[in-house]
Amino acid sequence: MNLVDRTRAALDQALAVYQGTENAERLAAIRARLDEPLRVAVAGRVKAGKSTLLNALVGERLAPTDAGECTRIITWYRDGHTYEVVAHPRDGEPRQLRFNRDDGALEIDLAGFSPDEVDELVVTWPSQALRTATLIDTPGIGSLSEATARRTWQVLTAEDETPADAVLYLMRHLHPQDVQFLQAFHDTEVSRPNPINAIGVLSRADEIGVGRLDAMASARRISTRLGADPKVRRVVQTVVPVAGLLAETAVTLTEAEVQQLRKLAEVPARQVEALLLSADRFIELMPELGLTSIERQALLDRFGLFGIRLATALLRRAVVSTATELARELADRSGVNELRAVLESLFFERRDVLKSRSALLALDALTRIEPRPGSAAVAATVEELVASAHPFRELRVLSSLRAGWVTGRQTVLDDLERIIGGTGGAPHDRLRLPPDADSAAVASAATTALASWQQRAENPMTGHELAVAARIAVRSCEGILAELARRGDGSRPPGDLQQASQR
Amino acid sequence: MTESKRPDGGSQQLAQAMRVVELGMQATTAYERPDLTERLAAAKRTLAEPGIHVVVIGDFKQGKSSLVNALLGTSVCPVDDDIATAVPTYLRYGPQPRADLLFHGDPPRREPIEIDAIRQHVTEDAGVAAEPPAGVIVQLPRNMLASGLVIVDTPGVGGLGSAHAAASLAAVSMADAVLFVTDAAQELTAVELQFLQRARQMCPATVCVITKIDFYPAWRKVRDLNEDHLRGADIPVLPVSSTLRARAVRTEDTELNAESGFPDLVRFVTSRVAGGATARIAASAMDEVTAACQQIESQFEAERSVLADPAKNAQVVSELTAVKSQVEALRSSMAKWSQTLNDGIADLSSDVDHDLRARIRQLIEEADDLIDEFDPADTWHEIQTWLESTAAEKVMENYGLLRARADQLSEQVWRHFQEGSGDILNRLAVYNPADVLARAEVEHKMELEKMGVRKQAMTALKSSYMGILMFTMLGSMAGLTLGPIAVGIGLAMGIGGLRTEKKRQLTQRRSQAKNAARRYCDEVSFRVGKDSRDTLRRIQRQLRDHYSARAEELNRSTAQALQSATGAANRTKAERDKRIADIDAELGRLRELRRHAEAVVA
Repeated sequence: MNLVDRTRAALDQALAVYQGTENAERLAAIRARLDEPLRVAVAGRVKAGKSTLLNALVGERLAPTDAGECTRIITWYRDGHTYEVVAHPRDGEPRQLRFNRDDGALEIDLAGFSPDEVDELVVTWPSQALRTATLIDTPGIGSLSEATARRTWQVLTAEDETPADAVLYLMRHLHPQDVQFLQAFHDTEVSRPNPINAIGVLSRADEIGVGRLDAMASARRISTRLGADPKVRRVVQTVVPVAGLLAETAVTLTEAEVQQLRKLAEVPARQVEALLLSADRFIELMPELGLTSIERQALLDRFGLFGIRLATALLRRAVVSTATELARELADRSGVNELRAVLESLFFERRDVLKSRSALLALDALTRIEPRPGSAAVAATVEELVASAHPFRELRVLSSLRAGWVTGRQTVLDDLERIIGGTGGAPHDRLRLPPDADSAAVASAATTALASWQQRAENPMTGHELAVAARIAVRSCEGILAELARRGDGSRPPGDLQQASQR
Repeated sequence: MTESKRPDGGSQQLAQAMRVVELGMQATTAYERPDLTERLAAAKRTLAEPGIHVVVIGDFKQGKSSLVNALLGTSVCPVDDDIATAVPTYLRYGPQPRADLLFHGDPPRREPIEIDAIRQHVTEDAGVAAEPPAGVIVQLPRNMLASGLVIVDTPGVGGLGSAHAAASLAAVSMADAVLFVTDAAQELTAVELQFLQRARQMCPATVCVITKIDFYPAWRKVRDLNEDHLRGADIPVLPVSSTLRARAVRTEDTELNAESGFPDLVRFVTSRVAGGATARIAASAMDEVTAACQQIESQFEAERSVLADPAKNAQVVSELTAVKSQVEALRSSMAKWSQTLNDGIADLSSDVDHDLRARIRQLIEEADDLIDEFDPADTWHEIQTWLESTAAEKVMENYGLLRARADQLSEQVWRHFQEGSGDILNRLAVYNPADVLARAEVEHKMELEKMGVRKQAMTALKSSYMGILMFTMLGSMAGLTLGPIAVGIGLAMGIGGLRTEKKRQLTQRRSQAKNAARRYCDEVSFRVGKDSRDTLRRIQRQLRDHYSARAEELNRSTAQALQSATGAANRTKAERDKRIADIDAELGRLRELRRHAEAVVA
């Protein structure tokens, strides 16, 4: 029985106990959530570029973006068969809303509601990207409108149930408020402060170097440093730089825009440099360019000064020639591809663990807050599941590692983090092998790792915490071997198969 | 650029004031009043180094250092995409570029460094040095700085929400002007707005500078939003681009300079800020000169009245003797002002101490609640940050109380001193037979307030406050740490014991955390308590010295007047006439000097 099945069984047990109470409906919803896409919240301070990044990930300009503080209502974007926007008012029944989509972004008619009266909006939109994950756009923290900020806080730090399974936390540059926010997002029971369900995104990365052509290199250096900072490591898995606006534009680039950029690329480099010295200059100077001020404004809105500088340079130096190539190059340089890869290996590969974790958290809270005859048994099941399921144990080791509780030589700790799946759950990630390594190579590496972790676990000189962690690592190695054996194309794993299977 | 190279009115006014003060010193030396000479020498020192502080402040990575560089057409302030400035940089005038590190100490120790090496010392990764510097002083040959302007680039480390922010606020409270820097990427955040409003309360000449307008196409919208947020707060908003300005300076492109928005900023700094502050400083120096003239005039006038009418000798002498006893009373420790001062400081000391204790007690309670609410294993770092910044906040509030009460006390002491001294100077001069018009003018100038006594007391206070400021500014509190708490190992893997074991560890962590928090608070309380007691003692000494010196001056004037008056009666008619002519000449010279002084201020 895998983790999701065991979680479902626990929920069934709870459903029987809470049958006929008002909590039954909620439990059913939690159970249904196990079969839905992973829920990923996009959070961060005001104007961190949350909606822009969300659009880049969806590949469409859905969420409205604006220079002022824009997203005021928590908005869910989920896959579905029809196009639909539903408002969930604070009081009263959910109501379908009218919307239109003239220049890309959705314009939603709130039908007389003020933003404060609406709890959340649910946008259903047929989309491949949303099939993998339901995205939640949140109002910024540090918002001048206090009610807005408080609601975000509640969504991400709800006591009993976390609406999001994982969170992309956008930071413009690490700020004391950011760490505090992330900290609060973390629960306490299933795992300690938990870099498992959070990825940091250094958003608006092009702004760090104020739009210089080497801005992304600078942003990469900073995100590497942040990712190595113990304070940050305790709360997010890793930090990825993304130039959100460029990413959004790259995935929605039009042929007309490329035509306009070509006109710029034909102007001698020195003149373009002088023209692109400031946004105002770009709008006002060189009327001979053949671009109207409306077109120029539109380009600025879509690309930003950095994007225009970069795209023009790419076209002039003939690094790219077609619109498709330009789109690919811009997407690549924006960092969004890297973010997608990280999302894949850290969130989507682990979706079952993350979803089970959310469900068990909710269940645990319910049994504590609203005990009923029989709920103690449910609580025991949850505790047994949390304590025994190997993926959860791995999470606990990972968070202990990140919190600095497990001590040892740095190389050993790095190995430990990898083997328990800290940088991705795939066997080749765990064993530091290339992605195309064949099963024989995986098996041999896993066997070597198994032996060395076993040795460490049994060595009396090993510290207590490291020994406990090493025993978990041993089971992770056994799990890899068992998985190979089940697929029938690896060497026979040593040890007890029953014990090794990833329950 | 043109604005910065144009010699501004401020420095001329200071130079003029300096000449008048020097004349005044010649006069006081000639009339053998070293006490007055000393007083003018102090005024001269202030004029030579007026120290008009323009503090540049803002959340980190908003472009503070770039702004300072662009403003002065230099690149001495290190600018980096990632690393923030960690110590304050003071940029002031100097004929040659040079840089000195400033270290803690009394007086602060200076150590010259290469001007190119500043980066190594002021950025946050500069932790290599054995002792972190408290600041860097950079001297630059810039006309904009020539009038005594000091531009302070404050650390961006930690951001506005941290303990550093309280230190920045302390810097603001001493500033003559504040440039609050925010970039055009977004409208002001809640934290920024709150900080800006508090800064405005402490320093009326506060301006909100929006940077990076070259890069953000929507800067006009951001500006409008910010103007909206600041409506009614009387904080002008100035959008600028440091990049364009730097380029304009390099290529001497006037049009580009105008586009950069810096001309407005330069105007704000040189006219509204520096101009206003230099005018204030010059005016107070001129008040000193006037006051010195009055002291000397009063003694001449008493003598002159006896010379003019020897029959009145006895009356004048008895009147002067009465004045002398009044002055004696003012000088004695039993004088009302002196008692007010001593009692006031004692009361103030206990009130401030009590206030601090109450605040720290509240802080401890809040910390306990916080620790009970969360698991310190998760949140210890945050609790630390919170505790440090909240403690800094409380210290600032306590300091605010101290300052407000000390100002009140100073006012009270001044009032009592005035009551005690009353019309001494007028009574000295009352027998002046000179024309009524001249006398009316003299009387008009006779009030102690006009003599700058009160203003001077304020200056004295301002320097006393520096004690507490140094404490927060130089971050001795940052040297105080809570230290790590031993977090229990959360690696219990067994099924049954998981929850109970976790609970036990949590209880243990919480009590450890509470103890650490309490130790920290006690230490803060101890250090701040000592610091404010020292500050109050310093205030007491400053005020006492200040008013004693004034009383001493009066005493000397009275004594000399008495002596001259006594001698005057015994002279022959011819001698008297000659002496009257001399005195009239001297009085004429003094009046001339005062006219010079008035001309500087006008």
